[in-house]
Amino acid sequence: MNQADAIAKLQTVLDDIFLESPTLVASLSAKDVPEWDSLFHISLLLAVESAFGVRFRMGEVEATKNIGEFADLIVRRLAEQ
Amino acid sequence: METAERDQLKQLLLAGHHDFWIKLTEATRGANDFEQLFFLSSLRKKAVARQHSRTKTPVPPLRIAFLSGSNVYPLHEIIEHLLETEEIAYELFTGEYDNYVAEILEEGGAFYQFQPQVIFLLPGPQRCSYSEDMFDPREVVQAAADAISSQLLDLCRIAHERTGGEVILGNFPLPARRDPGPLRVRTLASDWNFRKWVNLELGLKAPEWVQICDLEYMACRRGAIASQDPRGWFESKQPCSPALQVDIARELVRLISALRQPVKKLLALDLDNTLWGGEVAEDGLEGIEIGDTSPRGEAFKAFQKFVLTLKQRGVLLAVCSKNDRALALEPFERHPEMVLRAQDFVAFQANWEPKSDNLRTIAAELNLGLDSFVFVDDNPAEIEIVRQFTPEVTTILLPPDPAEYVGRLQDCGCFETHRITPEDRQRTGQYRAEAERKAALSSAANMDVYLESLAMKAFVREFRPTDVGRLAQLINKSNQFNLTTKRRTEAEVRALIGEADHIAFSVRLEDRFGDYGLISIVIGSVLGPEIEIDTWLMSCRVLKRQVEELALNTIAQLAKARQCVRLIGVYLPTVKNEMVRDFYPRMGFEPDSVTPAAGRYALDLRSYHLRPTKIRLEPESDESS
Repeated sequence: MNQADAIAKLQTVLDDIFLESPTLVASLSAKDVPEWDSLFHISLLLAVESAFGVRFRMGEVEATKNIGEFADLIVRRLAEQ
Repeated sequence: METAERDQLKQLLLAGHHDFWIKLTEATRGANDFEQLFFLSSLRKKAVARQHSRTKTPVPPLRIAFLSGSNVYPLHEIIEHLLETEEIAYELFTGEYDNYVAEILEEGGAFYQFQPQVIFLLPGPQRCSYSEDMFDPREVVQAAADAISSQLLDLCRIAHERTGGEVILGNFPLPARRDPGPLRVRTLASDWNFRKWVNLELGLKAPEWVQICDLEYMACRRGAIASQDPRGWFESKQPCSPALQVDIARELVRLISALRQPVKKLLALDLDNTLWGGEVAEDGLEGIEIGDTSPRGEAFKAFQKFVLTLKQRGVLLAVCSKNDRALALEPFERHPEMVLRAQDFVAFQANWEPKSDNLRTIAAELNLGLDSFVFVDDNPAEIEIVRQFTPEVTTILLPPDPAEYVGRLQDCGCFETHRITPEDRQRTGQYRAEAERKAALSSAANMDVYLESLAMKAFVREFRPTDVGRLAQLINKSNQFNLTTKRRTEAEVRALIGEADHIAFSVRLEDRFGDYGLISIVIGSVLGPEIEIDTWLMSCRVLKRQVEELALNTIAQLAKARQCVRLIGVYLPTVKNEMVRDFYPRMGFEPDSVTPAAGRYALDLRSYHLRPTKIRLEPESDESS
């Protein structure tokens, strides 16, 4: 899976849980999406983990600056398996 | 949840179809993890955002306040979703992170302005731990534990007194990790024991208006490791794993529903393959599986026993079966292994009408609402009919394996007791007197008093067809207390029934702690003025209970009825029956001819006096066939 694949799959996951789902591009950041606040982020990560079958470590998602980096992190975690 | 199910829900939502809400509730009830529920909750919000709302009956909302020692998000999100899908109108107040003490103590604050009717208080487990030395004296640790439980209950009391609200208090899950090893159970200072102690105190000291949301139980059920979530704690102060949050939310909603909904009153039961295995109309009274003769029979018996405990707790029982009424009644009246009897039921509908009609008839007869009924059946088709035609009735479909029947009923949540009434509390006095009596007994060496206290009852009866399975089983497996170890097939056992040249009876024993079932068998051959005891065996579970004396009395009486004057007892030694080598001499028999290969002993009945026992002999019921 590459970054583009991961972003495409992320799109389907987020479509299910956002009221108004943003169109994902690598440069999009959580700050650009009004619904994506720190509380929603908690559940969002659980949904993403479940969809991809990965587990993130503390703080590493917060360290990603945008969707592109988030997708790269997912790809990296998947590759480790 | 299958992708197809998700897609169907999404399509129903897009179409603005009313079925969306029905399917959403169904999917929510079936969902078992956080991620599924979060998805369903998101769908619900989307539906509301699209003004695709379900029609609601206007009722005043229940004001629920959720105060917590941890982050209330996303737990409150799941709680709200469950309340919405169960159509419980509510308003929710959520407290600040770990601020519940101040919120409760500060009179006139936001919490009190909200005027909660239900207060859910979930303290953080980080608050329940003994921080001092692991080897501190128990009294010191106990005082610390008591302080925690007292403080929490005090907070509950203050909140209750100021609002009149019901309090639901979460207790503490036990730690999942091994540390400190074996010391865990040996000191009250380990988190494991400390939390258990606090939880016990909370449950036992909670007043009537406090209900405990039992996190210890739920985490135990889910698994301690799967219930904790250190990452969630460090990142966002989560109280526990998402999985346990789902369990907590479900339990909370169940407790809240129970505050408002009347409990179920009546349990309606199918018969064939529900209360016994097989079909009584096809297999006959002797063919149905019930009782200790087979593993399946035992499972059905265990199910009946649990149903009986529900009756003892006040649940009404009814039969609702497609059957010939007379045949359906037979096992209740004549089968010795049945636990439930006809008089245990307030209604007995066995006929060929649809079960939904029969349930309506029962409801009308007893003047009860169908919504207080729970219907249990092993047949999915019958469950479906009842669901369709009497939707008010709660239905329980039994699993395919009767081994799981008791568990299914125990997990249904329909007959839970939430409150301890003042009458219940009065009973404590009676129990205490009883406990003192028992304590006196256990210390006294007085065997007679002990036996008396067991309140033993014996059912002695001559061989009969319904017992053949169990008789043959016992005859063929008893080794230790078995004087001759003579084996017999079922056909040979059957041949003894009503046979003039033999006496053949069995003994069933019950005491206050339970039913031991069929535990002793005697077979004797009538030889002119003598009876030779061909088989005498007993289950070792009832050794020293005076069953031997009772059996000898019975033999003597049966012998006298046949004008016999002498009993001959035979002992055939095996590697396993050493324990009864001296049995006949102990029972007062005189040696007649005793060799290493066999012992023959005799007892003159003309001078025999009945042996006193502490076993009450129950009259033979009219079960004989």
